[in-house]
Amino acid sequence: MTEETQNNDFDQIAGTNTQQSDPEVTPTPTPVASERQNWLKTRVEKWRESGIISGDQSDAILNYEAAPEEPFRLGLRFNRLIVVLATLGAILIGAGIISFVAANWQGIPSITKLALLIGAQIATYGVAYQLKFVRGYPRIGGAIMFTGAAWFGANVFLVAQSYHLPTDSPDLLIWWFLGILPLAYIVRSNAITVMAVGIFIVGLAWKAGTWADDSENFLPVFGILLLSAAVIYAIGMLHLVREKIKFHAGPYLASGALLAIGVTYILTFEEIFHELGRDFYNLQSVSGSQIVLTSIVTIIAAVALGMTYRLSSRINRNSAPRFAETAVVVLVVVLGWVLVTLPFNSTGFYVVAFNLLLVLLIFGTIALGILNKREPLVNIGIIFFVIDLATRYIELTVDMLDTSLAFIVGGLLLLGVGYGMERARRKLLTQFGLRGTSHES
Amino acid sequence: MSPRLKRLFVAIIVIQVVFLLGLVGYREAILINGKTAVLQTVPVDPRDLFKGEYVTLRYEISTLGQNVNNPNGKSYRLHGNFNEGDSAYVTLTTVGSSNPYSTAVQAGEPQEEADLFIKGRVTSSKDGTITIEYGIEQYFVPEGRGLEIEHADDVKVRVKINRSGTAAIEALIVDGEVWRP
Repeated sequence: MTEETQNNDFDQIAGTNTQQSDPEVTPTPTPVASERQNWLKTRVEKWRESGIISGDQSDAILNYEAAPEEPFRLGLRFNRLIVVLATLGAILIGAGIISFVAANWQGIPSITKLALLIGAQIATYGVAYQLKFVRGYPRIGGAIMFTGAAWFGANVFLVAQSYHLPTDSPDLLIWWFLGILPLAYIVRSNAITVMAVGIFIVGLAWKAGTWADDSENFLPVFGILLLSAAVIYAIGMLHLVREKIKFHAGPYLASGALLAIGVTYILTFEEIFHELGRDFYNLQSVSGSQIVLTSIVTIIAAVALGMTYRLSSRINRNSAPRFAETAVVVLVVVLGWVLVTLPFNSTGFYVVAFNLLLVLLIFGTIALGILNKREPLVNIGIIFFVIDLATRYIELTVDMLDTSLAFIVGGLLLLGVGYGMERARRKLLTQFGLRGTSHES
Repeated sequence: MSPRLKRLFVAIIVIQVVFLLGLVGYREAILINGKTAVLQTVPVDPRDLFKGEYVTLRYEISTLGQNVNNPNGKSYRLHGNFNEGDSAYVTLTTVGSSNPYSTAVQAGEPQEEADLFIKGRVTSSKDGTITIEYGIEQYFVPEGRGLEIEHADDVKVRVKINRSGTAAIEALIVDGEVWRP
């Protein structure tokens, strides 16, 4: 089995593939599709003439591409069903074993339960390997591999529980993250990458949240989250310029953008600064550990951006959009530091700054998604555009209009905006070739 | 999968297993080699967790400072200032010692004359009073048995502590008897 086959549907379900190879997006014959076929025909003819491929091969390629799309698409949908069923099955078996062990925790000798848990984890990986790489079942194998990675996390928590270690600790999540991230790269699984990045975000947010336990000031936690978003996105950018790891860029870019926009959206409300930030202009209240963690995250972001630039310049890939992308990441880092240190003694600055940042991030994400053909980024940008628009409408009208009228007008506006956005989204995706013009787009 | 990736795949599984075994080995080493101490707990609170049930343990030495009225009249002297996130070392007496009182709380590791000490992390520090977590604040119990502990009059925890002050729970002593799960 080649590595190419590992880019399976299971990973695509995670919604993060950056490759433009998802055949499902190829529609039934449309103007775009027929244009594409004409282009392909010309190219294949040239390849044949120049001796790159034989006449038989050129016929085979053209026949393959001209095959009716419907059965092919149905086949893909069936593949996805296989992945969903396999994942559910693997999770159910795992949950059954774990709950059996947990329910009989005290009755099973410690050595036996340890052997049971670790043995089951190894067996899961073994079965996944056989199916994915040896027997030629990449989808079901990928699903079981994903379950194996989840199993490792469950084992970390179960061992901690058996020794009465605090399980409400972000440290365990960080161990889980460190254990499965390399696995994602070795078995080329974007689903496991999504799991690892998600665990990292939750773990870091939790860790940052522990600072705020006994403090009235939660803003530094948001600061750390913004910085983390910048780091995750910058790591995604770095992946894009390294051919070997480009496959994994999607989860980082989508998670980074989602986290940055989500956190910024929360920070657009003035109440957040009234309720949570009572320590303005009080650098004394910033603890050493906060500054250390903030600095470490910033250094990682800077290194990722620096390496991206170095590699981009080597392969002549630096461009205006990349400069703009980098500038936005740097701006997010700067505003993250502003939240950690709170240098201004007024809520006005923060509210204006984060509202502007939100607009910039939303339109920047949509623009980058279009320019770089990354559909998840376009979707994230559009979803938050609608959310932000609805929020501002409610804020504006809640005091001005009668409640019932405000709801009716608001509802009509939302429907109108939704319809308009759907049309715009289709048009955008069609324009940059991710979708056809069929109704399914 | 290339032979190199295959080797890496096996290596990452080995690392995961070694990590789990290491976690087990470290805790077992404390339980086997550590010194014993019995810690008094104050009211406990059963909680449901998605995979079981545990009781939250708050120790007499969880909150220390000049303004803390200790039920047994023990005194704890804070040596130096403590900030959130700092390590704190609380000297203890071993079981059977003539001096049943803990004496000092300090940021650095106590000298050799300290008979036994436990290491924790300061989670809050305000007005000369600090709260410390020792990593032994949860005790997992079989489902439905948490209330037995909550309703008990006296709950103590027998811990084992290694040379660097890390503690591991060995047993719960409920109303004077070792609690059997």
